[in-house]
Amino acid sequence: MIEINGLYKRYHNHHGSDWVLRDINLTIPKGVSVGLVGRNGAGKSTLLRLIAGMDMPERGSIHRGCRVSWPIGLSGGFQGSMTGRQNVKFVARVHGGRQNVEDIIERVRDFAEIGEAFDEPIKTYSSGMRARLNFGLSLAFDFDVYLSDEATSVGDRAFKAKASKAFKDKVGQASLIMVSHGEGMLKQLCQAGVYLQNGRATWYDDVKDAIAAYHAETDEARKQRGEQVGQVASGKSQQRPGTAQNELALQQGKTKKPSEAQQAQTDTSTQESETREELESLVARRRADFEVAKSAFEHAKAMQLVEMDLKPYQRRFRKARNQLQQAQERLDSSSAAEDAGDNSHPGSNHS
Amino acid sequence: MLSIFTRGPNEGRSSWDVTRSVWYAMFMREAISRTMSDRLGWFWMIAEPAAMTLIMVAIRTQIKGGRLIPGAEFIPWLITGLMGFYLVREGMMRGLGAVDSNQALFAYRQVQPVDPVLTRNFLEGMLRTFIFLLFIAGCLMLGIDMNPDDALLAMFGWFSLWCLGLGAGLVVSVLGSLVEEIGKIIKMINMPLLILSGVIFPINHLPHSILEYLMYNPIIHGLETLRYGFFNSYHVVHGTSILYLWFFTFSLLALGLLLHITFKEKLKAR
Repeated sequence: MIEINGLYKRYHNHHGSDWVLRDINLTIPKGVSVGLVGRNGAGKSTLLRLIAGMDMPERGSIHRGCRVSWPIGLSGGFQGSMTGRQNVKFVARVHGGRQNVEDIIERVRDFAEIGEAFDEPIKTYSSGMRARLNFGLSLAFDFDVYLSDEATSVGDRAFKAKASKAFKDKVGQASLIMVSHGEGMLKQLCQAGVYLQNGRATWYDDVKDAIAAYHAETDEARKQRGEQVGQVASGKSQQRPGTAQNELALQQGKTKKPSEAQQAQTDTSTQESETREELESLVARRRADFEVAKSAFEHAKAMQLVEMDLKPYQRRFRKARNQLQQAQERLDSSSAAEDAGDNSHPGSNHS
Repeated sequence: MLSIFTRGPNEGRSSWDVTRSVWYAMFMREAISRTMSDRLGWFWMIAEPAAMTLIMVAIRTQIKGGRLIPGAEFIPWLITGLMGFYLVREGMMRGLGAVDSNQALFAYRQVQPVDPVLTRNFLEGMLRTFIFLLFIAGCLMLGIDMNPDDALLAMFGWFSLWCLGLGAGLVVSVLGSLVEEIGKIIKMINMPLLILSGVIFPINHLPHSILEYLMYNPIIHGLETLRYGFFNSYHVVHGTSILYLWFFTFSLLALGLLLHITFKEKLKAR
């Protein structure tokens, strides 16, 4: 059981600091898997880091009455210059498995299935391989609660199936708190949901309701953006009072309208050459690659390499950044086109 | 499933158990990356001070006379100085990069920013001690008198320098990570320190007015103690005080640990 009481969090930086999370009160019961949903920057990863104990809240408290994993994700947790095996060894030792190190290594290698790369430095891994290794590593320990930060988003089909099977096997022993934009995965693995918006969290007993609330928000934002074509350049979505939003969300959850809206969306987007989902997954992949390149570059910088050695990392970082931007632009342009489509069918949108 | 987790749900590991396993894991990791990952890592650890000694001896044979070291031979005097200085310098420099290069590992909440600094310093001290012993053995075989006259005092001097390096490393690891410029400044003062600490040239002959200020540098006190342990007839620089060295060391250690406690979250969160 995890109890969060009156939690506030903000990051101090140079350009003012607004609360990332404000007044979060949650009680996550034992054995209940929770999906965290919300837009980018809503504070999902921050909340996960706080639950993991990587970060301290400004105010409030988190009580962990059980063994909680580290946030399993794409970035962090591994030292780029060390091999997969050495990293696994390190983590096993940190968790007190002095006698079981070999055992744990075997299990992680079996789960990750990355072959010879297990003995190569982590910085040579693709983002999918890193996710596999990180996931396998966390499964080698019997935690009560696993925290997953988009760990499954870059995996291939086989890996996703394997990951969800591994979690289903653990039902009853362990639960999961996951951040994901893959809604299929959320519905499959989680029972309850938490929807984060403007730094506030709302608990839903059913993850589908949380997803519905999230959809309502994005649809609303998209509709508003459509109404104000020309002001889109400002790039900021409108902020509405959270309570009204939640009421709206609940209403929609009951009447099952979001599914209709979704249907309409897919109808319009399938006419395009690339579907929206494909583009979104492309962006996610590019972002993951970018994160990897960025962390490798930062690591290389931290190692104080000479310029010659540093160059390749820099090049890779820039390339990944450009690719990410391109993908993002394509996604934006496609969603702009979609907005236009939505406006032409006002009936499909709930007004 | 695994025996590490077969305890009951409420009996966690004690803080000391956790810290010990983190130190063990860190130490093994650092030891491998320090000695194995670098090509010729071992070779340079020994070759660098050896080359430095040879160069200094070569220079000295050219400039004969004048700077005689009272009560000690030049080569052993130089080697003890270089080794002691490297011990402090490496303690400081290893601390400087320790937090940044282990950033990824703070994902595991068991690992604190102070852990890599402590383990690195410990490892560095062990390695330097081993290399120093190698040098002593090598010199003895070449017929150079490196036999310490007062082994206990020599060991104490060596230990003091180690602690000084650790203290400096603790302070520098926090400040250097929070303020990037401090790291650059520290790298800059490395070279002058080598000369100001009386490693290469004896500072006995300097006028009192200059010496007064030079003696604020704690490294001199440590090096002179170490040398006095090796050569009983050696005239230490006037004003050498082990007490001053240890005051300085304890202040640095306390300051460093306080900084680590204060900025723990900031160091982790970056």
